Amino acid sequence: MTANIFVMNPTAAGGNEQAAVPEALDGLRGKVVGFIDNSKPNFDHLIAEMAEILESRYAARSIVRRKRLASIPAEDQVFAELVQECDLVITGSGD
Amino acid sequence: MAIEVCSTAFSGLGRSQAKALGYPDLPLAVVRHPFGSLSRAEIRWEAEECMGKIAAFAKQARNDRARPPGGGTDAVRLIAVADDAESVNLLFRERQWTDGLPIVPPTRERVEHMLSRSGYMPNEFIARVAPAFGEATAESIAVNAVMAGCDAEYLPVLIAAVEAISAPEFNLQGIQTTTNPSAVWLLVNGPIVSRLGMNSGINCLGQGNWANATLGRALHLVMQNIGGAIGGEMDRATMGQPGKYLFCCAENEAENPWQPVHVERGFSANDSVVTVIGAEGSLNLNTHSKDALEILRIFAETLVRPSGNDYFLCGEPWLIISPETANILSGEGLAKGDVKRSLWEQSKLPARRLTDVDLNLTRIRRIAELGEVTQDTMLPIATAAGSIGIVVCGGPGTHSMYIPSFGNTRSVSRKVRLNAYQTEP
Repeated sequence: MTANIFVMNPTAAGGNEQAAVPEALDGLRGKVVGFIDNSKPNFDHLIAEMAEILESRYAARSIVRRKRLASIPAEDQVFAELVQECDLVITGSGD
Repeated sequence: MAIEVCSTAFSGLGRSQAKALGYPDLPLAVVRHPFGSLSRAEIRWEAEECMGKIAAFAKQARNDRARPPGGGTDAVRLIAVADDAESVNLLFRERQWTDGLPIVPPTRERVEHMLSRSGYMPNEFIARVAPAFGEATAESIAVNAVMAGCDAEYLPVLIAAVEAISAPEFNLQGIQTTTNPSAVWLLVNGPIVSRLGMNSGINCLGQGNWANATLGRALHLVMQNIGGAIGGEMDRATMGQPGKYLFCCAENEAENPWQPVHVERGFSANDSVVTVIGAEGSLNLNTHSKDALEILRIFAETLVRPSGNDYFLCGEPWLIISPETANILSGEGLAKGDVKRSLWEQSKLPARRLTDVDLNLTRIRRIAELGEVTQDTMLPIATAAGSIGIVVCGGPGTHSMYIPSFGNTRSVSRKVRLNAYQTEP
C-alpha cells in the first residue's frame, strides 16, 4: 500500500470581509438610480431604455456616469458621487 | 444598494468577482450575450426584463446572515495524498490547481527549501492578486514555484514579478478577466540573469532553458491559483494564447548597443530587475535589409493594423529587436529614442480604416488624448513615442518581434530583493 504525503494548497484566501448586501429599498418609486456605463457597445442604449422605464413607471430619477474603458474601475470620485446621490447603483459587465 | 447587469457569458465572472470582493449576495440581472449586436427593439425587450428583475431585487428582504471572513478558497493548507505522481497530479487536476501540465508535488519540505535562502519570511505579505484578490505571501508564491519546477534561487525573481503584476497601472484585473488573448511577459535584467543561467540569446522565448521556462510558468500559476483566474470561469479569454503557459526571457545586455530596459527606467546597471508586460501575442518582424531607414519602415508598416488594441485603447506596444538589427540601427547613429520616434511617426493608422463601431469606441476612449477623432485622424499607436517599449534579445539572425499590448495596461518594473547569499560571487 502506498504511503501518504502532505502537499500544500497553492491557492490563497481573498481576505475581503464578506458583507451583506445593503438593506433593500422598499421598491423603486421616487428613488435616485445611478448607472455606471462600462462603455461597451449598446450598454448606453440599455441604460437609456431603463432610465425611461424608471421615470415613466416609477417616477425615479437616473444619473449616468460613463467609464472611458470597460477594463478599468470607475474613478473614486464617481463612486463618491454615486454613493452620495443614489439609492441604488447599477453597473454592467460583459459584451 | 447595488445591482450588476451581466451578459450571459459573463454572469459567472460577475458572481465570482462579487464574492471575491466580499459581496456574495450582490444581485445580478442577466441579459443576452452578445449584447453588443442586439437591435434597439431587442434592447428594449431586455431593458423591460431587467427592470422587472431589478424592481424585485429592490423589494427583497435583506440578507444579513453572518459570513466568515476570507475569499472562500480552500482554507486547508496541507492535504494528504498517496505518495505517487499519478495521485498527486490527479488531485491537482481535479481541484483546477494546474495549468494542464504535470506539477512537482509542493510538499512542506520542498516549499521550506524554496524559501530557505530567499531572505523572505513565509508569512511575509507580498500583494493581493486580481481578480480574486488572493493574498500572496512568500510561502503561497513558493508553493506555486515548487509546482512549476523552479530552483530555490529563482524565488526572489518570482516574488518581484508578483509585486509588479499587482501594481495598479498594470491592470491585472483587466488582463486576467478580459476576452482578449492576454498573457504576462516576464522580462529580466541585471546580474541575476547570468547567475540563474537565464537565456537572453538564441531561442530565448523558445523551449529548453530551465529558468526561463519555470519562472514564466510559476508566474502564470500564481495568477491562476492566487489570482483566481481559472480559464472559463473568471478568466474569460475567447482563445487565450500559448504565452499563458509561460512567457519569459532576459534581455541580451551584452550585445545591446543601447541602454538596457532597467537602466532606461532609472535602475542601476548592477540592479537585478523584473519587468512585466501585458502582451497579446508575438509577431515575427523579418527583413533582410541592412538599411536602417528601410528596416524602420518595414517594422512600422507591420505594426499598423485596424484590429489592434494599441490603436483602440492607446497601449504600450513593445518591440524585441535582435542584436544584429539593433547594431545596424545604432551603427547608423540612431539612439533608442530615435527608433521609438521613427516607429511612432510611421505607424499612425488612418482612423477611416476602423469599422464604424470601433471608431466610435476609439472616440470615447481617446478623446482626452486626441480631442475629437474623425475619419481623417491619424491614430498614433501610443500616447507618445516614449511609450513604445524596446528591448534587445535573441541570437544571430534577421528576426525581431512585435509584442502588441493588451492596450489598457502599462508595464511595471521592480527590483529583485536579493540577500547576501544570493549576491556573493
